[in-house]
Amino acid sequence: MSDEHDRQDGAAPLEIEVEGLRKTFGRREVLKGISFGVPRGGFLSIFGPNGAGKTTTLRVLATLLTPGAGAIKVAGHDVREDPMPVRRAIGFISHNAMLYPDLTAQENLRFYADMYGVQDREARITELLERLELSARRHDVVRTYSKGMRQRLAIARAILHRPRVLLLDEPHSGLDPRAVDILDGLLTEIRAEHTFVMVTHNIAKGLEWGTDLMIIEGGRIAYEHAAGVDHAAFSAVYREHVNDGSVA
Amino acid sequence: MNNWAQFMAILRKDLIRELRTRDMIVSMILFVLLAMVIFHYAFTVKEGTDLTFFTGGMLWVTFIFAMLLGLNRSFAQEKDEQCLDGLLLCPVDRVTIFFAKTAGNLVFLLIIQAVAVPVFALFFIERSFVGDLLPFLAVLLLADLGICALGTLLATISMNTRSRDLLLPILFLPLIVPVLIAATGATTLIFAEGASFGSLVARLLFLLGFDAIFLVAAWGTYDFAIGE
Repeated sequence: MSDEHDRQDGAAPLEIEVEGLRKTFGRREVLKGISFGVPRGGFLSIFGPNGAGKTTTLRVLATLLTPGAGAIKVAGHDVREDPMPVRRAIGFISHNAMLYPDLTAQENLRFYADMYGVQDREARITELLERLELSARRHDVVRTYSKGMRQRLAIARAILHRPRVLLLDEPHSGLDPRAVDILDGLLTEIRAEHTFVMVTHNIAKGLEWGTDLMIIEGGRIAYEHAAGVDHAAFSAVYREHVNDGSVA
Repeated sequence: MNNWAQFMAILRKDLIRELRTRDMIVSMILFVLLAMVIFHYAFTVKEGTDLTFFTGGMLWVTFIFAMLLGLNRSFAQEKDEQCLDGLLLCPVDRVTIFFAKTAGNLVFLLIIQAVAVPVFALFFIERSFVGDLLPFLAVLLLADLGICALGTLLATISMNTRSRDLLLPILFLPLIVPVLIAATGATTLIFAEGASFGSLVARLLFLLGFDAIFLVAAWGTYDFAIGE
């Protein structure tokens, strides 16, 4: 990243820069001018009620949606003007695996490796399948996988091309406790290698992982804080801002 | 990363998936064979009826409706598990996706035709047309390219709508009529008179022109069509 992205205070340079992001669907303005930054190696946890604009924010960062207004840079590249380098720089993990159910794990990863131009394709696939404990099922079609296995394979898909930024959209959604433990173990392993933005309803997970916290409500940032607040205090803040009864 | 490798990756993925599930090809083949059988019994009620000048129409109306069945399925798999998002997250030109999807649909249509044309010849063609195979293949390929290019573009546009099963034929059938008219006329001439390339040149150029129009239109609009 160029020097212009380096922060004056000597902190890590910003990997994600969002300034005045607006997004409208039809006549409904979903994002009403939000601004934030995530330093390289940082972990931003985004909370908020359903329909607040969290996932829309993530999808704009991932170039899946075009911003209506604002300047948005990921890994130093404008998401609207220069989306290809942004796509190379990001991995996206959602509660949907984005895997073809009728292809095997190996065929899915080969497909994505070819799409991203991964040079050491077979070695990288083998390494990830072993790391994610899926080697024994590599020739099975994904349709036969459990939700937890699919989610592990989705992580392999997302980090296959060694992205700098990982975007997580409710990654723990629908997982049983065992699968949550496995997912958290994997996130711990790869935590140092990436910059993260995670959208979640799970306050405990968001606080556990986040170096920065944000609540989006009604398309605006309602609360921003560096991590360090405890669960009870943040739950109180969450209730105050969101008040939808979803706080655990 | 080059476009050719990405084109091949998408095409290979679609072919592997279809050959494994066969959910598109089987329905298309069954439809085509059923249509042939119905045409055969409907048009041969009176013995000695000369069907030569109906052959082009029968063949292409069958292919068009079979292709509609396939087009509806070709993007359905991308909606499973949000695979389309996975594809759009990749650093790939949207036009490469279009060409790969068009090529996949073309392969499937050619497979259907490889099954259907011999059956059709058995039922309806009394003279040997082996000598006319090259002009027939030229008509087939040019018409197929137009059908698949337009069909892929419109299937992409309609896939995100709630009434995609209705919208696709409403958009596709009127726009494909010029291609159908040229292909039907050329095919009938080949089966009836053994037309040479020379006598088909106007129709072949017409098909080529429409293929070019559909491909250029898709080139210019696909980024928008497959986006939000």
